[in-house]
Amino acid sequence: MEDERSFSDICGGRLALQRRYYSPSCREFCLSCPRLSLRSLTAVTCTVWLAAYGLFTLCENSMILSAAIFITLLGLLGYLHFVKIDQETLLIIDSLGIQMTSSYASGKESTTFIEMGKVKDVVINEAIYMQKVIYYLCILLKDPMEPHGISQVVPVFQSAKPRLDCLIEVYRSCQEILAHQKATSASP
Amino acid sequence: MDRNRREIVGYSPSPLPERVIYGFVLFLSSQFTLILSLVWAFIPESWLNSLGLTYWPQKYRAVALPVYLLITIVIGYVLLFGLNLMSTSPLNSIYTITDNYAKNQQQKKYQEDASSTLRDIPTSEVNQMFFFAAKELYVKTKLYED
Repeated sequence: MEDERSFSDICGGRLALQRRYYSPSCREFCLSCPRLSLRSLTAVTCTVWLAAYGLFTLCENSMILSAAIFITLLGLLGYLHFVKIDQETLLIIDSLGIQMTSSYASGKESTTFIEMGKVKDVVINEAIYMQKVIYYLCILLKDPMEPHGISQVVPVFQSAKPRLDCLIEVYRSCQEILAHQKATSASP
Repeated sequence: MDRNRREIVGYSPSPLPERVIYGFVLFLSSQFTLILSLVWAFIPESWLNSLGLTYWPQKYRAVALPVYLLITIVIGYVLLFGLNLMSTSPLNSIYTITDNYAKNQQQKKYQEDASSTLRDIPTSEVNQMFFFAAKELYVKTKLYED
């Protein structure tokens, strides 16, 4: 069963949340970030080339212009491969664990998997980020030493940064699965 | 004698004889330093030398030191802002969830007809109450915001 809704992130950009409901114990959430806009790309390219042209008029060395072209191309490729995240996915499987996948604009994908034995809870936390206070979803990991302690906090959807309404939807589904998991693990 | 009076009066900012003397000494010394620095800055070297006072700092300092002070104040603004940014915990830090005080707090016994004691509630419980159980409450407040 698949479901798609649109939300907005903390800066006001559009996000699309796709929910896939595979079974009562397995769900997937896929957040698509806004694409690289033509306006920002032309703005950056123009500033870099204007700065290079200004340097060229000072130095009279034409290497600066070709260097600026190379820098723009390499910078764009590097940005698409290492920085720009297109889609972030959160897959929860009841008895197995939680998997987070980020797919970059160049096609690269990076995956993190946390097994269910380590997961204590999935919560919505508020924290100060730059000059704002934002809500973000995070996974709390258990401390092997202490039964009620928290050893680590893993934030999810870090580059999409959705707002509270989207986070509440994801939070509710995750809590249903975690409650289901606690019930089945406590019964024997 | 002094400690007795301190115990009676307490640590209050009221005037005391010692404080009067301290204040007057401070006032005199600050006025003297001001007049001395103005004299040093404005009166030409030759007049001061003819009086017999020869060992002064360079007059360059009269312009340099106020400039140093002003730049320090401006950098202080930037530094304070930077310190604030640096000491904000990152999003994946454990200090956004809990800290030593919350971990070591004692549980008080439940008393009948008494208001509940103030304590740190774990994040999971707070989340359950806000986002899981009270769905209708959230929907209503969202409607009012729109």
